[in-house]
Amino acid sequence: MNINEALDLDALSSQNSIVHNLEGRIKLIAVLVIIVFTVYSNQLLVPVVMEIFLLIMIFLANLSFINSFKRIALLLPFGGFIILFQPFIHPGAIIWQSSVSWLHITDLGLNWAILLAARLIVSLTAIVLLSSTSPVQEIVQSFRKLGMPKDLAMILSIMVRFLFVFIDELSAIRTAQKSRNFNIHSKLTPYKWRIKQVGYTIGMMFLKAFEKGENVYFSMISRCFSDNSQLYSSKKNINLSDYSYLALIIILMAILQVTVMFFNQDLGYLGIVLYS
Amino acid sequence: MHIPDGFIPYWQCAIYYVILIIALYFASRWARNNLDEKRIPLMAVLAAGIFAIMSMNLPIPFGTSGHMVGGTLVAIVFLAPEAAILVFTVVLLIQALLFGDGGITALGANVLNMAIIGGGVGLLTFKGLKNFIGKYPAIGIGAWLATFISAEFCAIEMIIAGKFPLIIGLTSMGILHAFIGIIEAVLTVIVIYVLEKYRPDLLAWNRKRKSNELVI
Repeated sequence: MNINEALDLDALSSQNSIVHNLEGRIKLIAVLVIIVFTVYSNQLLVPVVMEIFLLIMIFLANLSFINSFKRIALLLPFGGFIILFQPFIHPGAIIWQSSVSWLHITDLGLNWAILLAARLIVSLTAIVLLSSTSPVQEIVQSFRKLGMPKDLAMILSIMVRFLFVFIDELSAIRTAQKSRNFNIHSKLTPYKWRIKQVGYTIGMMFLKAFEKGENVYFSMISRCFSDNSQLYSSKKNINLSDYSYLALIIILMAILQVTVMFFNQDLGYLGIVLYS
Repeated sequence: MHIPDGFIPYWQCAIYYVILIIALYFASRWARNNLDEKRIPLMAVLAAGIFAIMSMNLPIPFGTSGHMVGGTLVAIVFLAPEAAILVFTVVLLIQALLFGDGGITALGANVLNMAIIGGGVGLLTFKGLKNFIGKYPAIGIGAWLATFISAEFCAIEMIIAGKFPLIIGLTSMGILHAFIGIIEAVLTVIVIYVLEKYRPDLLAWNRKRKSNELVI
């Protein structure tokens, strides 16, 4: 996660396109449904088709494919690390054997690696689409409208308001440090000293967070905030195009599910059916 | 340590979500009893601060980089793991939805590792050791142990999901996070030291002592 990314996202998500103009709740539900449907499918056809669908949506939203792929690539390391193990840990027919007896690649292992990579890429593409077409406040408001518990929704709502304040705050601290030639990754200064400076920076951020929290609280009670207060939500109706978008996704998933059930034996990488 | 979508089977995700819901129920009850109406802005702004702190990339030996988690930090500041649960649920939700850092379906597992286990282990270690070895060494060991055990729990969850080999999974996650844990420990100690020096009233143990003095 990069702090500049958050600022870029805010600008990206405020653009105008067919996808940007969809209602927030519909976009959120659509992404959640796509992720859940894809990650619990064991057939490679599902992530492939869903990825194509998401790429079409990215195109319709006028988003840059290169930037979207870059964001996805940056998020792959931890998942990629786990995927690397898959060809070696699943029992199955051996398709490659090393000189060490226990180190071999099986067909089922390779299937799992490919399937997990496909699932990961689809879920990350869905998140990239959501975050690039919906401002943060819209996502939070959608959660509230969909019935998130009041306390949690309130914390979430105030948190995202202050997110950008802290990102700016951190950027200001970093600029000040940079102007004094401080570089966290520079090996010209002792490691211990660098970590100490980072500790002080985090300490200051923590202090600022607390103090800002108190100030926010005082300004809220001065405006009659109490336990019974409700947050304001702008009213936006769900119209026909929103329903159509959701219906399109559900129909696509239904067709995929039927296809997978009907041609079960013929689908899947290397002709093997995967079971969880 | 952020588990992505697609790696944990749905029935296991459901179990972690049930744990998350129960934990959130107790955390909300704790916040209502201990923080009054101040809890909402305080937790929200703290979550934003933690989010910014987690976005700072730190150099880790062997040419890699990582970031501070802060579960132990939040739990020790409030002397309650419930605070870490509330803060980390919103932080991890936003991270998953905006940045794809950790999965939506794996949110329960990620909160369990970083807040419930991270905050709980850190706080319990701190409470258990502070009278024997002093406050700051106890904070350091608590933060290190929390990082290490959280990482091992993450590995165990992946092993249960059938996506990690037992020995290699535990060893690789353990070794990597043993180093990351040292950085987490040093940073947690420094942050508590800074708070103790400039705003001691923000630390729960000072607040408790102060209220006792007033009563006396």
